[in-house]
Amino acid sequence: MNSDFEERLRRQSIRPIPTEWRKEILRAARAQPAASPWWREWLWPCPQAWAGLAAAWGIILLLNVTALEEKSATGQVASASRQDFAFLRQETEIIARLSDFEENRPSPAPSPAALQPRSSRRVKQFIG
Amino acid sequence: MSSSVNLERLYDEHAQAIFAFVLNLLRHESDTRDVLQELFIKVARDARLLEGVLDHRGFLLRLAHNQAIDLIRRRAARDRNYEQLAEEKSALFATSEDPDQKALADSLAEALDELPPEQRAVVHLKLWERLTFEQIAATLDISPNTAASRYRYAIDKLRARLRLLYDEFK
Repeated sequence: MNSDFEERLRRQSIRPIPTEWRKEILRAARAQPAASPWWREWLWPCPQAWAGLAAAWGIILLLNVTALEEKSATGQVASASRQDFAFLRQETEIIARLSDFEENRPSPAPSPAALQPRSSRRVKQFIG
Repeated sequence: MSSSVNLERLYDEHAQAIFAFVLNLLRHESDTRDVLQELFIKVARDARLLEGVLDHRGFLLRLAHNQAIDLIRRRAARDRNYEQLAEEKSALFATSEDPDQKALADSLAEALDELPPEQRAVVHLKLWERLTFEQIAATLDISPNTAASRYRYAIDKLRARLRLLYDEFK
């Protein structure tokens, strides 16, 4: 419940706002650019630092991609080595088979001279 | 949503109330203008500020109060560091031809000026904005009990200060 005193105070009217303010304040308010999106506001305080960080990440990504390419090239080498190894193994097997064949082949019969003692072979040579 | 239309409507509906409130707190016309302009710039820059706000007047009064309190603190710091030049206080009330009314208006303006800003804010919102203590509490970010007690203290001081004049007019 308001007292008479409060009602009396309330009746004192506060002076009106200067009319010329309206145009000036609204013009100033409209001249302001709209607020940037939150991420831009967040990045804005130190754009160079963020650009540097982005560049660092770019380099890391590039190195990562390069390393991946090298790795896949190494994989190709490895598979080529496996093929070569199989080929070599095949060849070794062939050589081994061939050498077995050579070893098992019957040797030619020694000549009758070869069966004689060395001393008699020599005499025969000088005589005959 | 056209922000310029909304700005004009906001201004027409609420600028007078904000002006009166801030002028009562600062008692300095150009500072009051600065606060008002800053407030409208803030709203113009970010239309989302008013999204979902039902009581635009209360919201704008709250923003204005915060800005005015910041300004009062900055002034206090400045006054501590530099010798304050005598500043003429801006008139708060409309001029009246009636000498009794004018005397009461002048005395009331002086008495209000002697109140601490937090009490003055409550008195203004209660008397001239006709807000309830709950609304005042929401606007000033205080409890309704605090708002009510600040109001009682302030009214007692005003009554004591204006007793002679008021008794004359009764």
